[in-house]
Amino acid sequence: MIAQFHPQTLRLIALFVALLATVLFFSTQIDSYLSARMFTRITTSVAVILPIAVGQAIVVMTRNIDLSIGSTVGVVAYLTGEFLGGHAGLNPLLVALLAMGIGGFMGAINGVLVACGRVPSIIVTLGTLALYRSFLVQYSDAKTITTASLPQWLVDLPQVNAFTFLGLEVRVTVVLALASAIAIGLALTRLRVARRFYAVGSNPDAAVVAGINAGAVVFAAFVLSGALAGLSGLIFLAKFGNITVVAGLGFELKAVAAVVVGGVSILGGSGSMIGVVIGCVLVDTIDNSLTRWALVSEFWRDALLGMLIMAAVTVDTFASRSLGRLGARKAAG
Amino acid sequence: MTVLELRGVSKSFAATAALKDMTLAIEPGEIHAIVGENGAGKSTLIKIMTGVYQPDSGEILVGGVAVAVRSTQDAQGLGIAAIYQEPMVFPDLDVAENIFISNRAQGSWMNWKRMYAEADALVAQLGVTLDVRRAASGLTLAEQQTVEIARALSLNVRVLIMDEPTASLSAHEVARLMTVARALKAKGVAVIYISHRLDEIFEVADRVTVIRDGQHISTKPLAEVTPHGMVKDMVGRAIDTHAVKTAANPHGASVLRLEGLGRAGVFRGISFDLSAGEVLCFAGLVGARRTDVALALFGIAPATEGKILLDGQEVTISAPQDAMARGIAYVSEDRRKLGLAMSLPIFANISLASLRKLLGAFGIIDRVAEAAMAEKYRKQLSIKAASVRVEVAKLSGGNQQKVMLAKWLETTPRILIFDEPTRGVDVGAKMEVHNIIRAMAKQGVAVLVISSDLPEVMALADRVLVMREGKQAGIFDIAEATQEKVIGLAAGHDAGLAEAVA
Repeated sequence: MIAQFHPQTLRLIALFVALLATVLFFSTQIDSYLSARMFTRITTSVAVILPIAVGQAIVVMTRNIDLSIGSTVGVVAYLTGEFLGGHAGLNPLLVALLAMGIGGFMGAINGVLVACGRVPSIIVTLGTLALYRSFLVQYSDAKTITTASLPQWLVDLPQVNAFTFLGLEVRVTVVLALASAIAIGLALTRLRVARRFYAVGSNPDAAVVAGINAGAVVFAAFVLSGALAGLSGLIFLAKFGNITVVAGLGFELKAVAAVVVGGVSILGGSGSMIGVVIGCVLVDTIDNSLTRWALVSEFWRDALLGMLIMAAVTVDTFASRSLGRLGARKAAG
Repeated sequence: MTVLELRGVSKSFAATAALKDMTLAIEPGEIHAIVGENGAGKSTLIKIMTGVYQPDSGEILVGGVAVAVRSTQDAQGLGIAAIYQEPMVFPDLDVAENIFISNRAQGSWMNWKRMYAEADALVAQLGVTLDVRRAASGLTLAEQQTVEIARALSLNVRVLIMDEPTASLSAHEVARLMTVARALKAKGVAVIYISHRLDEIFEVADRVTVIRDGQHISTKPLAEVTPHGMVKDMVGRAIDTHAVKTAANPHGASVLRLEGLGRAGVFRGISFDLSAGEVLCFAGLVGARRTDVALALFGIAPATEGKILLDGQEVTISAPQDAMARGIAYVSEDRRKLGLAMSLPIFANISLASLRKLLGAFGIIDRVAEAAMAEKYRKQLSIKAASVRVEVAKLSGGNQQKVMLAKWLETTPRILIFDEPTRGVDVGAKMEVHNIIRAMAKQGVAVLVISSDLPEVMALADRVLVMREGKQAGIFDIAEATQEKVIGLAAGHDAGLAEAVA
């Protein structure tokens, strides 16, 4: 019966069950957990992380990793906030383009170094993680962007409801983040060029033989990751209003956790956006619930994220190994 | 009208000429076999035709027009594609996507339905059944090859090069590939078929080209080719002067005896007796699994069936430590991966396998003795280096080989296994290595040499064991061996051919 499902489908079902179990568990531990307020709290938190998780997923699919996104989010949030202080009348659409443009440029720096410089992405993005953050510290001169300097529409944005569903309020920022995931998800299954992300990650040598410009594909992945981190930066700016030099600090851990838990293979070549969305919701649900769980100190949040990443990869390794053995037996028999 | 033509193409790497004035003309709708010994220049030829290498001189013509082939993309654009022993597929994508991944005619939006239908049609044209919705990760090697061929076909290939396509296929799969080759031919595609297996060539080829030492020797219609003549053309050269064997070593007592040794799925049925002072050479084609026998004897990939007897006692060798403790040494063919610590100096490499001897008080290595040990070998084997403190990476291939030899000689082995001892080594150093091997045998060491270089086999061996496709194809004294006989056995023209040319 179970064998009838595609392994990927099976994985999504397992992930969804894990999410339900998590929610059920915390509902027995925390008072008034299953409430509209908690729903809003978690979904708006997911809205900040989801775009960078989507970008990270594309990068991981190509057998790379982008560790710089936390700093990218911080830089974009700060620079966009600063720019809006002087140009409050800017069209919201242009603001979004500006944020994604800054992020995309920062991603392009990673992309050039990885694709043309042939430096391993883990080294490049570890370097830019530190560089971008230092730039922010230096540039901001320890000043803070405050709500007072931002246009009113942006300050109000996090409270704006897109629609209400069964008494649960779905915010515009949540819709925005989901839209980015859906758009990328559709592109990855429908757009021929986007299939190359999978091809390059699946077998880089074969990609070259098949006439695919692997360097260009990897570059594009990093630019997309940067641009989506720019979108995250904008949502972050709207949500918190006050931007300091620590904005976005540690987001790379959350993004990698969401991607890996969501079933994107760290070895490249496979993964779906549905998985990334569920992975993101699971990671943020755990994160947000731990802060209100009396039994465990909230300082354990990062440790739990770390364990979640390791557990997901371990389960994946064992699952694929036993699947491989099963396949070998079938082929032999 | 030729579809692909090479005129006077030459290609050298450093001082070695890989192709010399190569001329080749391929007709549309023919299956053109290219045969030659290991190192005859077949790989270079393929790489020139597919744009991986650029010729130093000479012309490539496609459809009668001179062209430049600067990359695999260029080659694809001209309708030239190649499939290799190890297929190149995307394991995470399904069969249909693998076929159409870089096909612009499919449009920018994925039309999965249409793609599956067209993939089905392509696969059907090749006369095989394959579910195009399956992920490529579960495909057998043969099925992966089919995917690659279908990909080439979808790109309107005019010349398809198959490089040793059957090396890892079962008999049934080989038959299927032959069907595919004939289907391509019927569509007017020229198939360049490169194989070591003579029986396949006689089954499928229309014309046969023999190359040797980077040169074109002959191109004949199959009807004018005999196995005998083809092997003669392949070997052809006069035996090198240094390759003359001086005198057979007197054989001592039997040291190593193998009885039906095998490793499941890799090799089986290897049996021989090796005496002290004897040199036994393992001949065969690349991929005949000779190295795997050595790896089993040395415990890296232990045997799963049969017996190993040392001095008449059955022993189990399940790790390199077991082998070393019993006096077996293995000089690997892959110096970089298995043989040497490239970033360490000469002395540290030589002492590596016998550090125990050098331990002084409190288990500290006696550096003076270590240097003296290395110095002894530097003189004895005439390793060309300023001092024993030079990094091994800086030495030439021949000198690296000598350092590796020194390492194992210091362990005073009773059985020495050499795997391709002179690959990538220049002619002068080659003779020196041969002399060292002979000297070892004279001192009573039992020697096993794996070599794809026939003159080398003829020069070193007291006896020759020929392997083919993981099995022992024959074993005989050097007095009975001729190059033709060894090649015939190695390539699979069994007894009939062996007798015909003996």
